Amino acid sequence: MRTNKFGIRIATSALALAVSYGAHAVTDEDIMNDHKTPGDIVSYGMGTQGQRYSIIDDLNTNNVQHLQPVWAFSFGSEKMRGQESQPLIKDGVMYVTASYSRVYAIDARTGEEIWQYDARLPDGIMPCCDVVNRGVALYDDKVIFGTLDAKLVALNKDTGKPMWIKKVADYQAGYAITAAPIVVKGKVITGVSGGEFGIVGKVEAYDANTGELVWTRPTVEGHMGYVYKDGKAVEAGISGGKPGQTWPGDMWKNGGAAPWLGGTYDPDTDSLFFGTGNPAPWNSHLRPGDNLFSSSRLAIDPDDGRIKWHFQTTPHDGWDYDGVNELISFNYQENGKTIKAAATADRNGFFYVLNRENGDFIRGFPFVDKITWAEGLDPETGRPIFAEGGRPGDPSAMEGNKGEVVVAQPAFLGGKNWMPMAFSQETGLFYVPSNEWSMDIWNEPVSYKKGAAFLGAGFTIKPANEEYIGVLRAMDPKTGEEVWRYENTAPLWGGVMTTAGNLVFTGTPEGYLKAFDAKTGEELYKFNTGSGVVGTPVTWTMDGEQYVSVASGWGGAVPLWGGEVAKVVKDFNQGGMVWTFKLPKDRVASN
Amino acid sequence: MKVLSRILVLMLLCQVAFAQEIDDGDPLLNRPAERTYDIIRESGYLKVGVYENFPPYSYQVDGEPRGIDVEVGKRIAEEMGVEFKVHWIVPDESLGDDLRNNVWKGHYLAKRRLADVMMRVPYDKQYAYMQDSTGEYINEQVVLFGPYQQETWQIAFNPETLDGVDTVAKFQYHPIGVEIDTLPDFYLSSGLQGRMRDQVRHYPNVRKAFEAMREGTVSAVMGMRAEIDHELGHPENEEFRLAGNGFPGIGKQVWDVGMAIKHTHRQLGYAIEAIISEMVKSGEMQSLFSELGLRYGVPQYYREFLSDEALAKAEGQP
Repeated sequence: MRTNKFGIRIATSALALAVSYGAHAVTDEDIMNDHKTPGDIVSYGMGTQGQRYSIIDDLNTNNVQHLQPVWAFSFGSEKMRGQESQPLIKDGVMYVTASYSRVYAIDARTGEEIWQYDARLPDGIMPCCDVVNRGVALYDDKVIFGTLDAKLVALNKDTGKPMWIKKVADYQAGYAITAAPIVVKGKVITGVSGGEFGIVGKVEAYDANTGELVWTRPTVEGHMGYVYKDGKAVEAGISGGKPGQTWPGDMWKNGGAAPWLGGTYDPDTDSLFFGTGNPAPWNSHLRPGDNLFSSSRLAIDPDDGRIKWHFQTTPHDGWDYDGVNELISFNYQENGKTIKAAATADRNGFFYVLNRENGDFIRGFPFVDKITWAEGLDPETGRPIFAEGGRPGDPSAMEGNKGEVVVAQPAFLGGKNWMPMAFSQETGLFYVPSNEWSMDIWNEPVSYKKGAAFLGAGFTIKPANEEYIGVLRAMDPKTGEEVWRYENTAPLWGGVMTTAGNLVFTGTPEGYLKAFDAKTGEELYKFNTGSGVVGTPVTWTMDGEQYVSVASGWGGAVPLWGGEVAKVVKDFNQGGMVWTFKLPKDRVASN
Repeated sequence: MKVLSRILVLMLLCQVAFAQEIDDGDPLLNRPAERTYDIIRESGYLKVGVYENFPPYSYQVDGEPRGIDVEVGKRIAEEMGVEFKVHWIVPDESLGDDLRNNVWKGHYLAKRRLADVMMRVPYDKQYAYMQDSTGEYINEQVVLFGPYQQETWQIAFNPETLDGVDTVAKFQYHPIGVEIDTLPDFYLSSGLQGRMRDQVRHYPNVRKAFEAMREGTVSAVMGMRAEIDHELGHPENEEFRLAGNGFPGIGKQVWDVGMAIKHTHRQLGYAIEAIISEMVKSGEMQSLFSELGLRYGVPQYYREFLSDEALAKAEGQP
């Protein structure tokens, strides 16, 4: 605490300023209570635990057919591609991002634009992982988001003008940010996306007010973490203790494991939960070992970035099964006891229920119809039992024309990809947007990179069924039972939300926003938004009425890497809009 | 403010790199210009695509493009009577990506940026006629043509720590530097049942691997022959030596390097092919390499039909 006159004066005026806009500033308390407050949405996940469950029940199975569009808003320009954002709502203003690192503030009542911010991306940038953006974080008077050139940008919520900009990582080295940051105890927490070569994943915390780095935590074994005090880096322990335990040679130096999908926060255990991506290089035969902490879930201390525990879903990953998927905290009762659990649906096709206090495996089960790479999970540890012949071959051992083709299911795009699932406190079920597809992987007989001979793998994704790829599933986390399913022709690529009105919302690449009965899976409502929905719906109340919003605009990874799925999705048009619906007051009681 | 000015400087630097390039795409439709042979002649310039920051092939010195691919590109432009313009290529994960981003379609973040011709594209019929699982030709949008060099692998070592490299088996015991995610990386990490794996040290490029050899972190470096020759030409690397070992089981020991154009621009291809053919046969290509301190390999393509005498001429033998 500074005691000179000047310091005191600054402190006083800052306080005065805080009071003047205090009524509209987003506080830590607002964020921690987000899941309980129907009038706003101030966090990605509709609550830091990421349950995506709304307590509002005005809109319900009896009246959802009366849900009607109120306004639609176009993101504009020719950048019509991949709208994966989740809108936030505060004081009648919607804050939503669009692809290519754009942010919009929109009057939530009328759909009129208040401001727009386009991040100026450097010439020649080659983002590894498409051009999507998944949303903003709100804190105080700031709207904070990550950019394709791996920066965090804080904008003034009223003007859209930058208040601070911080470089999180070097885009030229292959880093980007596409996930929505979260704010915990005044700190903005973000991960990074990264290409295959030479990157090391990390989770970082920045002071939300100033943008100063608070701590950094590498997600690969062997790298030192740091806490920053008065601008100085203080060593905060090597991730995993020391290098070389689960990696050969110096490969830990470039191990990948990018936590590209962001994280959730559980106040009960005071833990951040971040998932990590696949290890590098792609050829698993080069890196025998578990390759920690790739394809894992990490519990991280929000104060100093310490790793409290980890759970690895795919040790020694050879299928590109990123372990980035959201870990959602929830409680359930068993033998009269409350179990503090957390659940995640992995790219590898298994659904895991963990003890969120210590990371212990409670149970796991497949949430897709078929898994070929593993025979099951060890009932004690949750470690996969690898299937014989399920691992793609070693390209350097290749003889002849084309390496042996290995069929792996799920495909690398996952039993579930980035799109978040939802947990209903009403039904106790998880609603999982999943896909049924397999991939053929082989070693290319001839391959080049940067003018040089190379060893490349080829792959193609194939639908597992003629009739459908996408399956929205209601899964019981206590039994592993699939309670109901909805099958969709195209792969599902949008997030899910559930409400106390016994409803489950999600979007489809065919363009529909759909609502289902949370208990039975009966489809109760659909509206075509004009382009594929790959965003995540939200709901809130305003002026006594319940609203629903979702971004629309086909894109994301499926059209880029979809292989033979292309024939299902090739006619879908791209787009860039946000659609807002409401249940008019006089319809609340109707049947 | 300091941060802001640093960002500004960074932006300016990026602009310098790309400022040499011309944007001749259609801003209204946001697509690249359709530059056929006649249009190129009329416009007075040729946009030559080369990898950025990739010595000795293509790189910048004080903002000026340098390197063997740049020199060959300049010679082509000169023969065509047009000005040489550089088109820098940021490498993607594979050659197919680079061809799509720079030769026929354009990158989705820079749709108007295409090269008229791309250098350093391996000339390989098997690659050119590769089919996908539905039988479609994967590279049907481009024509691969005009091989101008044969490239191969090479190891350089530090004679203070190694008395020689008879076989790669040495690297079960001695650390060796490679560029990450290249064939040398895979070869040394998986060869001899993985027994060299723990000795492989990864660097972002060959230059950094040589730095590590000077610091004593590695005792050898493996890369492409021209990269190794180029590094050995620097005075700070003069104590290092070329190894004479083979690379059993590496897959491709040698390969021809040529160029690529969009398949609708074949007339341009024929014109460039004629220029290149003359350069290779006359020995001019060899002397270009030699001036840069690089050994030259005549492409296999020419070896198959040139007489011994003509081959000797191409190899620069009097």
